[in-house]
Amino acid sequence: MTLSLSVPDILVARAKTGDLEALEALYRAFETPVYNLARRICRAPEDAEDVLQETFLEVVKSIKQYRGEGHLWGWIRQIAASKALMRLRSDKLRATDELVDEAAGAPPISVAAGIDLERAFEQLSETSRAVVWLHDVEGFTHEEIAERMGRTVSFSKSQLARAHARLRRLLSPAVAGG
Amino acid sequence: MHCTIEDLVALRDGEGSVWARRHVEECAECQAERERLYQRVAQLKALPALRPPRDRWSAIRDTVQAGRSRRRQRWVRGGLAVAAAIVGIIIIGPINPTPALGENLAQAKQQSAQLETTLRDYDSDSRVMSGREADLTAQLEDQIAVLDGQLARLGDSARADAQLVDLWRQRVDLMQQLLQVHVTRAKYVGL
Repeated sequence: MTLSLSVPDILVARAKTGDLEALEALYRAFETPVYNLARRICRAPEDAEDVLQETFLEVVKSIKQYRGEGHLWGWIRQIAASKALMRLRSDKLRATDELVDEAAGAPPISVAAGIDLERAFEQLSETSRAVVWLHDVEGFTHEEIAERMGRTVSFSKSQLARAHARLRRLLSPAVAGG
Repeated sequence: MHCTIEDLVALRDGEGSVWARRHVEECAECQAERERLYQRVAQLKALPALRPPRDRWSAIRDTVQAGRSRRRQRWVRGGLAVAAAIVGIIIIGPINPTPALGENLAQAKQQSAQLETTLRDYDSDSRVMSGREADLTAQLEDQIAVLDGQLARLGDSARADAQLVDLWRQRVDLMQQLLQVHVTRAKYVGL
């Protein structure tokens, strides 16, 4: 994923004054990475869209608190990850997630034919997807993930290992075990 | 015995056991597994970005504008209330302290004056007192003197505020206690 995520300082300054045009420009600059992050974590596209909207409402509300320390995308990404993980923590989604985790031990039918990484990733539970994406792609630490998930660091680490073991099985059906 | 996925993930993240680190250096199979792990992560990073199917900006903008509108209405309502209060003060005049306060103040001052008169009638200076009575009397008179000082600082304001009424009531209470000391002593000695 290669996207240009740099925005001029003047745009950020205008956004801080509540200028809707500047805020829209920020939305246009970051809507895809925010949606991508949310969509990689949330199973349903509608949930990812909701995360996108909630993230930018938070950006509009809190942009004055952004002090310019670090890249703006880093700041927005923190918000997006928190919103996505908050969604995962809802009871309904957690219940769904547990069902998927239970099924994780049994390889799906599609394994026999072999599948690509994107499809294999989609077969992980939402919790596993969140940990893999945030840790391996977005660069969050286990401590940051655990804090946002309301779980322990060891939970985050074990989820990551389990997810990689499952990806390996899904991608190489001939190879048994992990 | 080979490294597990947990071992390899931990090693990649700069953790992992000494045994696992040494084993990977020596085992071609585990090195290949580690390489597959690296490749998988690299491929994840290279996945194409998923783009939102719909434009959500209009919904975000509408929510923001609705919020701003609500805040403005609150400000306007709050401002109107303040303006109405200011107009009321200008037209009607400053809100007088509760009428009851003025009555209470006058009542306390009157009681105080009556007690002063009664105490003078006892002519306590010419009567013999015990040490304990003298000590108690002195304490009460000291407290009354302190109160009189506070009342003098406040001045004889025409406006009755709660503090002034409270001080006068304290003075009445102390004077009643002082009178009680004299009455009790007089009964005791039969004077």
